[in-house]
Amino acid sequence: MAEGQDKQAADIAREKLRAAMVRLAEGDSAALEEIYEATRVKLFGICLRILGDRKEAEDALQDVYINLWQKADRYDPERASPISWLATFARNRAIDRLRTGKVRQGAVPVEEALPLPDNTPLADDLMVDAENAAQIHKCIQGLDERTRTHIRSAFFDGFTYAELATRADVPLGTMKSWIRRGLQKLRACLEASEAA
Amino acid sequence: MSSDKTPFDDAERDNPMLAAEHALGLLEGEELAQSRAKLENDPEYRWRKDWWNNWFAPWTDEVAGAEPSDVVWQRITEAVAATQRDNAAETAVGAMQKVVSLETRLRRWQWAAGITSAAAAIMLAIMVFAPGSEPGSIAPSDNGAMLAASDPLVAQVPIGDTGLRLDVTYIPEGEQLLVGAIGLTADGVHDHELWLVPDDGSALQSLGVVKPGEVLAKELSADIIANMGDGAQLVLTREPIGGKPEGQDAGPVVAQGAFSKV
Repeated sequence: MAEGQDKQAADIAREKLRAAMVRLAEGDSAALEEIYEATRVKLFGICLRILGDRKEAEDALQDVYINLWQKADRYDPERASPISWLATFARNRAIDRLRTGKVRQGAVPVEEALPLPDNTPLADDLMVDAENAAQIHKCIQGLDERTRTHIRSAFFDGFTYAELATRADVPLGTMKSWIRRGLQKLRACLEASEAA
Repeated sequence: MSSDKTPFDDAERDNPMLAAEHALGLLEGEELAQSRAKLENDPEYRWRKDWWNNWFAPWTDEVAGAEPSDVVWQRITEAVAATQRDNAAETAVGAMQKVVSLETRLRRWQWAAGITSAAAAIMLAIMVFAPGSEPGSIAPSDNGAMLAASDPLVAQVPIGDTGLRLDVTYIPEGEQLLVGAIGLTADGVHDHELWLVPDDGSALQSLGVVKPGEVLAKELSADIIANMGDGAQLVLTREPIGGKPEGQDAGPVVAQGAFSKV
């Protein structure tokens, strides 16, 4: 079965990545190149999505791997899959860059996002856990469309409450209330799925 | 019952909500700094933020991948190599500084307490390689505290009227005892054994047999270290070759002294 083989190949790739992360944490600098080769396309895509500028995104990406080299020991294989952890790590670094004012708000709104000339579909082995993906999708679909859009926009564009409020032309308090009610429901839905 | 119209104020947020806001990237300024501090100190909060991260991470699959230019990897390797060079240089400089600082201290102790140069050379070696004080691991700012805490204890034990003496030095940093018996010669019939006399009147603790003409370094056990301190008493007894036989009383005391802080 082709699908089964793909999954197996993805599992092997993930296991290799996990092993490389462990080696890096133990001080093996050569493991960094292996991790870079396996993950740069995904992580650069994330930085580019948040920062909206190639040069800024390349600076952020550089920052991500240098930091990874310095902090690889913070990765706990028990807590997260390597690709999930790395994706979160890259996104946080890109958001930090936005927040520290190194970049003017460069991200483009979802509806205006232009396709990038070198867009690459992600290989299976760069996909985060499919079961989690299905569940968060189901739970976010349970929110009303307005809330869903704002929460996703915070995630994908790195907007703050204030920026989201300005863009939606509503008071800050209103935006906070919308998103917080949404997060409350999202948490209840995700916890229920864990208990099931 | 809360509706979508009800405000959801900052003050109403619980930790899981704050962790979600941090994970989404909504926090800024003071709130972000507070959340970061909480992540360092509160394992439950850290767990909750990881929990949100793990749930949000699959969304990154919706982001198209993109190929960075080759120069990125080049810059990464250059930055890593530069950091490695800096670290190596810092370690070397740290080790040098430490040796220089120890040599200065030793000269001061030699002057203050008459430690022999043979003993001083061994002390230097012990202190440079003392556990927990690897070269480079000590920040310069720690040196003051380390100096004060680790000044050695020194005792001179004159042997009768011979003008000869034992130099006994305890180095807290390496938990080491140095016994120098330079100038003493063996008579081929006896050995001399050094003892610590605990303050509380309990049994003498052996510090080992003295080797005439040599400086011996010896690591001390925890129960002996517990009795070490300024004013701790030492006695030297005359014993058969090899030291006090098991089950017999110690031989006659031939010399005594006391530790004092340099």
